[in-house]
Amino acid sequence: MIAYFQNVKSLYGYKDLLYTWAYRIVRARYQQSVLGGLWAIIVPITTTLIFSVIFTFFIPVNTGNTPYLVFSYTAMVPWTFFSSSITDMVDSLTGNMNLVSKIYFPREILPIASLIARLVDAFIAYIILAILMVYYKMPITIPGLLLLPFILLIQIALSLGIGFIGGALNVFYRDIRHVFVLGLQLWFYASPIIYPVTAVPENLRSLYYLNPMAGVLEAYRAILIYHTLPGPSIYYSAGVSILALVIGYWVFKRLEFQFADII
Amino acid sequence: MQSTITLDQVSKRYRIGTGLTNFRNLFSIDRRNTNPNKYHWAVKDVSFSLLPGDAMGIIGPNGAGKTTLLKLLSQVTKPTDGSIRVNGRLSALIELGAGFHPDLSGRDNIYLNGTILGMRRADIKSRFDNIVDFAGIGEYLDTPVKRYSSGMYARLGFAIAAHVDPQILLVDEVLAVGDYAFQQRCYARMDELRSKGTSLILVSHNMEAIRRVCGRGLVMYRGEDIYTGTAAEAVVAYSDVLRDAARKKQMDVPVEEGISQRVMTFDAEIESVKLLNGHGDAVTVVESGECVSVGIAVRFKEMVRNPVFSLAVRTPDGRIVYDTTTRWMNIETPEFHPGSCCLVKFTLDMSLLAGEYELGVDIAASDFSHLYDSLESALGFSVVGANGAKGLANLNAHFSILNGSNGQ
Repeated sequence: MIAYFQNVKSLYGYKDLLYTWAYRIVRARYQQSVLGGLWAIIVPITTTLIFSVIFTFFIPVNTGNTPYLVFSYTAMVPWTFFSSSITDMVDSLTGNMNLVSKIYFPREILPIASLIARLVDAFIAYIILAILMVYYKMPITIPGLLLLPFILLIQIALSLGIGFIGGALNVFYRDIRHVFVLGLQLWFYASPIIYPVTAVPENLRSLYYLNPMAGVLEAYRAILIYHTLPGPSIYYSAGVSILALVIGYWVFKRLEFQFADII
Repeated sequence: MQSTITLDQVSKRYRIGTGLTNFRNLFSIDRRNTNPNKYHWAVKDVSFSLLPGDAMGIIGPNGAGKTTLLKLLSQVTKPTDGSIRVNGRLSALIELGAGFHPDLSGRDNIYLNGTILGMRRADIKSRFDNIVDFAGIGEYLDTPVKRYSSGMYARLGFAIAAHVDPQILLVDEVLAVGDYAFQQRCYARMDELRSKGTSLILVSHNMEAIRRVCGRGLVMYRGEDIYTGTAAEAVVAYSDVLRDAARKKQMDVPVEEGISQRVMTFDAEIESVKLLNGHGDAVTVVESGECVSVGIAVRFKEMVRNPVFSLAVRTPDGRIVYDTTTRWMNIETPEFHPGSCCLVKFTLDMSLLAGEYELGVDIAASDFSHLYDSLESALGFSVVGANGAKGLANLNAHFSILNGSNGQ
């Protein structure tokens, strides 16, 4: 237990590396691309547009007074952040073998920096959300915005927990990467992104909320679209996320010292 | 004084082959009780400790465990057995460009690599100009490092590692790619750091560098430290080990890299080396300025075409006083047939001052691809006389006063 907190403490000593490494990822990601940071918007907006066309014209989905585009984009941005950061974290160690096998530093820097770099993308994508909301003349409430960071933190805790485990196991078994990519794809459909929770049959709904991302995504919508407080499911999501983070970090530190030998 | 780094019977075992650990073993605490046949001890029972300002050279053929030892020291990997204690910041330059990102500029990479070595951005900022100066990359600072030459890579890498004020600095072979002037600056920087109390560990195949920079030497062979002593002694011990291994045909290092590894094939074997005076008598004491010869008896086991014989005279601490080869003397040696023996002779004026010296002899392939045989320290001798002059070379000074102009 003490060692656990010492790890966190020594990680703090490397915060400059964390920053520099995240900066490196962002810099390198857009260095030789013409559109650069725009890609952070293009990906979620394109997927949202496709679903908007399908679920507005072909199979209309009832989203109340909210335009479908805003409805799904509100959840698409945090989901894209969630899934892309986990995918990056899973690859973060194997993609930097050269470093891991040559120089010592706390290995968790790599997955955490991957997540931070995706956070930058998420912020860019949120700007579009703000523009959309202004365009559709939707009110933006200040108290709701104050809650936003907490929801974001819950989501980050969940991503980190899963990403730590995925990144560490991927060093040993490269199948893990594919398992995660597939899993995230399924998870996407199991979460209220392109459809409202009300579309889920009543009797399955308690089962549906076992997915911690359901509570998180619903909370984003509650705050940004419906101007209400997040429902009780967010407490469950918070609990699961923190548990995931604690266990994920433990697993990661447990396997860390074998990385250089295996990689 | 407290040691900066202490190794106590450190061993590291690797698994041979690519088999996957099963899921349960991944988390098991005891990683030792598995089938021993599938394992290889890369480092076995190595112990030493360094004080601030100590410099130790680690030498040994490829696969002797040097790099594994460095990885253990830098905490990249954990020992299977034994313990390593490190006091203070450790900076390691293990491989060229590890910790660089090719797409980023030199400037960004200085921050990146510096923070990887555990520095804060503010600290790097204050040393930034020194690093750039030392590396000599001023005008390429904003060029992506992928466009750098390997020499520039090496310079930048060393510059960063040597400016993070390490208490312990580990340097692997990497300096070999730098030019001569840069290597000299690196050695000077190592001396400077040592004088400030940094402990230095240098891994190199360059024996002159080991002797130049290090006080102590450790010879690694097949994962074990088979010799520890002064750097000069270690170099001799290393040569002897290789010779032994060659005799037993144990070396499995490819011949192409033989000369840098000092690996011998033993196609020709040096049977004896004698220092002979003018009368042909074997001696170990020589008058300064005396004309002597070095007789080397060689037996050829295989067909050897145009071998290159070389002779070096060194001080006991390994400084080269004189080094020559038949190639540099423009002498073309003939072919030697299997089973033949011959006696070769270098004749020289022993224009050295009084002191102890050592003779080294080796026979290399005509293209310098590898050695046939080598005796780093074939025999020791002493020089006497020379009227009390100090130094190494006997320049045989004479003194005279010409036309003294007495108070005009």
